[in-house]
Amino acid sequence: MSGFFSSPSRAGKPVGGLSSRLFAAAMLAFVVLFVGGWLALFAADVAYTSWDAVGQVLRAKEIRAALRLSLWTSGLSVLIGLVFAIPMGYALSRYRFPGHVVVDSIVDLPILLPPLIIGLSLLVFFRTDVGQFIENSGFKFVFQKKGIILCQFLASASFGIRAVKLTFDGVDPRLEHVALTLGYGRAGAFFWVALPLASRGIVSGAILIWTKAFGIFGPLMVFVGAVRMRTEVLPTTIYLETSVGRIEVALAVTILMLVLATAALVGVRILGLGKS
Amino acid sequence: MIVVQQLCFSVGTFALQDISLEVSRGEYFVLLGPSGSGKTLLLESLSGLHRVDAGRILVEGTDVTRLEPRRRRIGYLPQDYALFPHLSVRSNVAFGLRNPLAAWLGPESRQVDELLQLVDIEPLACRKPRNLSGGEKQRVALARALAVQPLLLLLDEPVSALDEQMRDALCRQIKGLQRRTGTTTIHVCHNFAEMLAVADRVGVIHAGRIIQTGSPQEILQRPRNGFVAQFVQAGNVLTGRAASAGRGLRIACADGVEFRAVRAGPASAGHDVSFIIRPENLRISRGEPSPTSRDLNLLPGTVGELTDRGAVVQVSVACGGGLSLQALLGRKEFATLNVQPGDRVTVTVEPEDVHVLEAE
Repeated sequence: MSGFFSSPSRAGKPVGGLSSRLFAAAMLAFVVLFVGGWLALFAADVAYTSWDAVGQVLRAKEIRAALRLSLWTSGLSVLIGLVFAIPMGYALSRYRFPGHVVVDSIVDLPILLPPLIIGLSLLVFFRTDVGQFIENSGFKFVFQKKGIILCQFLASASFGIRAVKLTFDGVDPRLEHVALTLGYGRAGAFFWVALPLASRGIVSGAILIWTKAFGIFGPLMVFVGAVRMRTEVLPTTIYLETSVGRIEVALAVTILMLVLATAALVGVRILGLGKS
Repeated sequence: MIVVQQLCFSVGTFALQDISLEVSRGEYFVLLGPSGSGKTLLLESLSGLHRVDAGRILVEGTDVTRLEPRRRRIGYLPQDYALFPHLSVRSNVAFGLRNPLAAWLGPESRQVDELLQLVDIEPLACRKPRNLSGGEKQRVALARALAVQPLLLLLDEPVSALDEQMRDALCRQIKGLQRRTGTTTIHVCHNFAEMLAVADRVGVIHAGRIIQTGSPQEILQRPRNGFVAQFVQAGNVLTGRAASAGRGLRIACADGVEFRAVRAGPASAGHDVSFIIRPENLRISRGEPSPTSRDLNLLPGTVGELTDRGAVVQVSVACGGGLSLQALLGRKEFATLNVQPGDRVTVTVEPEDVHVLEAE
């Protein structure tokens, strides 16, 4: 069977009849419905706004500052996220310890909980003695740019940890065992065997962290506020512009974010997350 | 010399029990056993991939039982070769040299060249493992294990995934390499022909225990018990009641059929015993038995089924009382004998070839 309803791989493709085509059509109908729905939303956004609004967005000092802040804070969140995701993903994949299931579930909590809770919890935490001590030690987070990174990290790291763990799950531990017999210690086997083999998954994890960190809004409103030119990231801009009735500008920022997010997700597919 | 003393290791409900083994320097030792007998677990324990519960492992006099795998100087070739998929053949071979440039620069790169030549994979040096055939992967894995100049090389079913022709060729190559490098080797397999192709000495393992060690011929001709006899395809495994007969043993089978045996086994008179007669040790002649001065086992019988096995012909002879013996005759011998199903024949068995098994 070739043409429209073809399988991704030419190998092992069974002979299909009319029923196979109908089945494939039924499955793909849901894909069309979902993707079509989203494309309709995008198209409505694009139709509503104007090129003038897009140009205004790209020229506006505040919005360019918000874009820069969004990019560098989310970039730093990715780096910090990976510093945690790589060892945690490896540890959760390779080692079994009492409470492993509980720990594994806690790692997933930020994926399930409403992001607003992260901001609220951080605000409460920094009112405690420990939180106050941190703030008074020169590490100020509340209503600060550092707070943006903290919120982004806490909201997004779980996605990276999960992606990296799944990648390490797919790396055969026996390859590391062979490295042990060839003169390497555990660390050597990790750095020379497991890490290079997990590289695609790590890059995919990084992109997942970035997309989540880039789009986060709820916790930021609670923990760092929405102060123009100071703690304003692109999602905050959308909120601020909407609240003063400049819907066209808000939608132009939305389109900017959509273009950046689409580029990132296509990058994930090209790097092989889709294949796995 | 490699010495394993009373090694015990359990995982789940399975356990390696009281494994003791000695392999001389430069010897090619084959560990033969069915699937699930603990062969791989034993190799992994020797290489340090499992912390054993009890016992000692000595490599050239050094106790390595508590040493990390990297300090044991034991090379390990796993069953599916476990080549590093992100590295080229050359980098795989150079991996154990622990120098990122070893594959390409300096004296170590010459060592890599020599190893590639040794296993005849030089033209494949730049390929990735995914572009290699099973036999090529096996040779790369072998070169990689040899690169660290191990004192002991462990091969886990190194040719089991290959077709028969390739298996024979690679067995010869592995054996030749082992002779040239003089590396003490333990090779695990469940294939009888593979064992015969490479082994200096053999150990048979079953349910986590080593049942018997010896030369391939000892294992073939003198299996210790019923399990080993079945595993090495002893052919005629029979039972009967033993009675003393001078220096030997007389074993009465069904309906008065009797065998004389040289008392080599642990059987004692008055007990039921199992014994084997290998099919290649049976001789067949036409007609009824005639008196002889020698103390031979002569059994009259009727030729039953004839099965062509290529180089040999398997002749089934019904000797009465439900007793059926299988004999293997060379093609020329079979042609000379010229028997057909239903012909009357005499089966001759030397008492030395009647081997009494230990009770399991």
